[in-house]
Amino acid sequence: MRVGVDIGGTFTDLICVDDASGSFTVAKALTTPDDPSRAVETVLVDALARAGVAAAGLDQVIHGTTLVTNAIIERKGAPTALLATAGFRDVIEIGREARFELYDIDLELPEPLVPRYLRFDVPERTLADGTISRVVDVALVEQLGRELVEEGVEAVAIAFLHSYANAASELLARDALARVAPALQVSISSDVVPEIREFERTSTTIANVYVQRVTREYLAALEQRLDRLGFVGAFRLMLSSGGTATVETASRFPVRLLESGPAAGALAAAHHGSRAGVRDLLSFDLGGTTAKFAVIADGEPLRSGDFEVDRRYRFRKGSGLPVRIDVIEMIEIGAGGGSIARVDSLGLLRVGPDSAGAAPGPACYGNGGVLPTVTDADLLLGYLDPAFFLGGAMALDVAAARSAIERDVATPLGLGVEEAAWGMHQAVNEGMANAARVHVLERGRDPRSLPVFVFGGAGPVHGFRVARALGAPRLIAPFGAGVMSAAGFLVAPLAFDFVRSWPTPLDGLDRARAEALLRSMEEEGAAVLRASGVAEDAITHEREADLRYVGQGHEIRVTIAPGQDDAALRVAFEARYRELYDRLGPAGVGIEAVSWRVRSSGPRPTLRLDVPGEVGDPLKGQRLAYVPERGGMTLVDVYDRRRLAPGATLAGPAIVEERESTLVIGPDAHATVDASWNLVVELA
Amino acid sequence: MDVLTLEVLWNRLLSTVNEQQVTLLRTAFSTVVRESQDLACGVFDSRGNMVAQSLTGTPGHINAMATGLRHFLATIPPATLVDGDVLITNDPWQTAGQINDMTVVTPVFHLGRPIGYFASCCHSPDIGGQVYGGGATEIYEEGVRIPIMHLFRAGEPNHDLLAILAANVRVPDETIGDLYAQAACNDVGARDLRHLLDEFALDSIDPLADAIIDRSERAMRLAIAALPDGSYANDTWADGIDGEPIHVVVTVTIAGDECTVDFAGSSDQVGRGLNVVLNYTHAYSSFAIKAAINAEVPHNEGAFRPVHVTAPEGSIFNCREPAAVAARHLLGHLIPCTVFGALAQAMPGRLMAGGSEASWLTVWRGEWPGSARRFTFTLFQSGGAGARSGKDGLQTNGFPSGVAGVPVEVFESRTPLVMHRKELVPDSGGAGRFRGGLAQAVSVSSRGDRPWAVSTLIERTRFAGSGLAGGRSGSVGSYRLADGSEPPAKRLVTLAADERVDLVLPGGAGYGPPAERLIAAILDDVVNGRVTAESAEREHGVRVRYIGPPGRLVRTPRHYTITPLAHAALP
Repeated sequence: MRVGVDIGGTFTDLICVDDASGSFTVAKALTTPDDPSRAVETVLVDALARAGVAAAGLDQVIHGTTLVTNAIIERKGAPTALLATAGFRDVIEIGREARFELYDIDLELPEPLVPRYLRFDVPERTLADGTISRVVDVALVEQLGRELVEEGVEAVAIAFLHSYANAASELLARDALARVAPALQVSISSDVVPEIREFERTSTTIANVYVQRVTREYLAALEQRLDRLGFVGAFRLMLSSGGTATVETASRFPVRLLESGPAAGALAAAHHGSRAGVRDLLSFDLGGTTAKFAVIADGEPLRSGDFEVDRRYRFRKGSGLPVRIDVIEMIEIGAGGGSIARVDSLGLLRVGPDSAGAAPGPACYGNGGVLPTVTDADLLLGYLDPAFFLGGAMALDVAAARSAIERDVATPLGLGVEEAAWGMHQAVNEGMANAARVHVLERGRDPRSLPVFVFGGAGPVHGFRVARALGAPRLIAPFGAGVMSAAGFLVAPLAFDFVRSWPTPLDGLDRARAEALLRSMEEEGAAVLRASGVAEDAITHEREADLRYVGQGHEIRVTIAPGQDDAALRVAFEARYRELYDRLGPAGVGIEAVSWRVRSSGPRPTLRLDVPGEVGDPLKGQRLAYVPERGGMTLVDVYDRRRLAPGATLAGPAIVEERESTLVIGPDAHATVDASWNLVVELA
Repeated sequence: MDVLTLEVLWNRLLSTVNEQQVTLLRTAFSTVVRESQDLACGVFDSRGNMVAQSLTGTPGHINAMATGLRHFLATIPPATLVDGDVLITNDPWQTAGQINDMTVVTPVFHLGRPIGYFASCCHSPDIGGQVYGGGATEIYEEGVRIPIMHLFRAGEPNHDLLAILAANVRVPDETIGDLYAQAACNDVGARDLRHLLDEFALDSIDPLADAIIDRSERAMRLAIAALPDGSYANDTWADGIDGEPIHVVVTVTIAGDECTVDFAGSSDQVGRGLNVVLNYTHAYSSFAIKAAINAEVPHNEGAFRPVHVTAPEGSIFNCREPAAVAARHLLGHLIPCTVFGALAQAMPGRLMAGGSEASWLTVWRGEWPGSARRFTFTLFQSGGAGARSGKDGLQTNGFPSGVAGVPVEVFESRTPLVMHRKELVPDSGGAGRFRGGLAQAVSVSSRGDRPWAVSTLIERTRFAGSGLAGGRSGSVGSYRLADGSEPPAKRLVTLAADERVDLVLPGGAGYGPPAERLIAAILDDVVNGRVTAESAEREHGVRVRYIGPPGRLVRTPRHYTITPLAHAALP
């Protein structure tokens, strides 16, 4: 029996699965920000009671959390100091010196996590080739350590120039702090992210140590709660890379827990897709404030090493704090049920990225929101049933939605109210489809070839039209799409990622050195996994190299197959390059490797889910819903999802309801329920 | 075209340009393009109207590209183009005003005819001639000038052109690699645009372009009409070259729903490479007007129409051939804040103060120790930006150019040079209710035992940018050697092996009277070393004292007190 539990911004979701029978229980409760572990206990106790199981009977609890993300966004980490190479303490404030938006003279950049008065110049210097031209001033570091403790500073990031090439000075400084101030949490950049580019490396190291204490304390509190409940199984954390880790490893690199919830969503999509025989797809997760898309290729989400947290400016790249960690690659944009519509100075409709969030919320929630949101439009269009939102637990106010849309959208544009609502629905869909298209094309794939896998509370309402806009061949909606992302926790293997910077030309590659470098990372990975209880013969390693043409600044990640030599790597690089950019670089330019990576994994758990169907007529009735192809409001069939058993078929336009979400199917489309209870809508 | 369809197509078109830019950044070779993003991307309709531009990049490139495309179409008629053709030029008068800026244009073929164009413009790391600087007296000394011609013909590289380039530039792999990146990014944009045409069963983007351009024009006219009619003048001084400063004089005239930006009264064109072509003057002037009055309007043909830009022929802002123009951005970058200073009279309580404005661009050159291998590295840096009506200025942030800096570790990996500091400069931001952004200082030396050289394209070392509404100017920049001497700027200077170069950039100016600054903000500035206690006392009339133990390294807010001196009227 295994449990996956996700603490989200609004809700804490849990899924408890009996791996023997496939039967499962889900639970949902409001997140408790003051002590997030409380909500975890609430949903766990609730689910266990309903499943009739004791906590002692659980083998594993796998957990994902937005705690780390929130601690950074809300600036609730530990008071943190930075020790930098003398003359470079401002690296996090100088940043890239760029503007991510040209015309906005009121532009703002995110506030650094460490104020300038806690950033210190440490005399030391390592050069680009790793030679040390000035030995670190240990006495000064010791004095800083003592004084920082006196001032209540709890965490220190040490980030010296070129430490990815030689970590000796950072290690000396860390040892010095440990001698005089053992209570300080210390992260060094050569340990957290040994990669070139001081701004990104320093920013990541600071973020890591900034959240270390709050993460440790939180995980300790959660473990205590689980102990009290009688849980004796293994407790694991979901990482942003899609692997899981023990509490000990996660506490050492808490920055790797960023976005672990969304990562689980992408894994769930990969899993469900593979079960349905679809190994290449686009995962689409739509909630109240953001939409997330991830490409699943050959059954696996893509990964990347670039991430930004706390994007201040409409999710624009460049407006957040850079974090170099291995993440499941996804694009997140400010579009969701709460996105607000307005008419801009060109007389064009704009939806989002501003969101009404949960408070005051959409106008139809009746919680004080007066601005027209996407949920208001969806309600007016008949896609949502005002009496069956969350299974009827929350009544929606149609009149409030209508007046908000009429006032702010329909009247300024000179449109009817339904037409305006349709405009909003379409605008948010197009915005999401555009973001998804760029994301897919950037990864060298054709959006018209990828089925869209849709989930999240608002996903199924919009999935059909988004998939159509992308030109996708089909839309796949899993059973329980509103909560299904938690299943992603249960398919993630124990895994850890390692990276080393070693820039070297591919021509005349020193193979022995490359092998030694990769092997050393594998040994480290194997040690971590063995310590976590994985049997030696169940450990696998995946090798990758980041390659580019000599002189370029952006690398392409290429998998190193066993026994592959430099010539084969060149072929793999060129194939991928052509796929991405249509043409190769100039003839005669060499290829170089920049970073070398190893991902060490334990065995991948298998997950079986037995869907609790219901017997009876699936057709619940009909209601008026907006179908532009049929000229506007049209009577549409409404189905009960639980009664659509494998083999069932239906034709659009149609609405399929379940407790946590509503699937809208447009005209000229046929849907079938597959053997895993997925609703598969053919769009071609 | 109905408003809802327009909305859909328009956003889709924007996404094609962003896709184009992402590809350019990922495939570029030079750090100038891939790290500093000195580039622009845009899509044009079949008649050569600019419809959409990328989100970031440099306004000078984007807007100059708009005019440039017309020259391309006049020189090589669309009817003669075939699929796979890629065109190129770096002619300053026809495009972005300097010979290093390569404009690459690719027609998009659909149903057998060109239905639009993708263009990109990048600052090339080297184009031959003198090492990039302001020292030339004529354009001929500044490098290889490429008239409008083919870079690819039906997919086949123009080998003759590439061979001439390879033989004339110092870093052929980077220069030619970037051209390939420009061609690749245009291809990706075109691929995306063809998807759009297929999906919506369109055979042209012209109706979409008309609709969006008309709406942009109307919105611009509306915003201009909202300002009081009148002529608003402002001026500033630039360092110039060889001790001869240059006067920048602008008059912005608002008449109904049109606006004219005129540079009459500015200095005459000069005998060195600081001259600005009208195309580039136009680019930064129209950028400034749009940023000031309606940032939301997309920058396209329509946004240009109600804005007229004039400068007397032969003046610094409308130079005649064969003037040298390589360092034209130093004056071009001064245009927006000077225009803001004029417009502030028509729209008080808004806009932003002046500051460092001009991007500092330095080209470093020499040999690697122990080998004859040479290096050439272009470094961009930004000083402090001006304060806004409700916010302090951004520190070390390029306005108006948007060009990014280069990581120290990348600089030191690709040259044998060592940077000894790159840090904020206390007191460099001008005082005000809102403080100007701080500048940065860097020091550079070489690890080698041979002479090396630097060409510094820098500005505002003599005349600081102006504050608004009573805000003070920020500090001026400086360029010195280890012994404190000041070598000539804007020229290649040879340095002894053990020399050190110290660059201190200019700071941003303040907004509003310094006496109105919040006392908490002043204290925060002193605690964080952005402002010294002496300056706080001089500018704001408050005394900030450090009361902690002497010799202490960690000094937190509890170690300071603050007391108003002369006037107790502080808010």
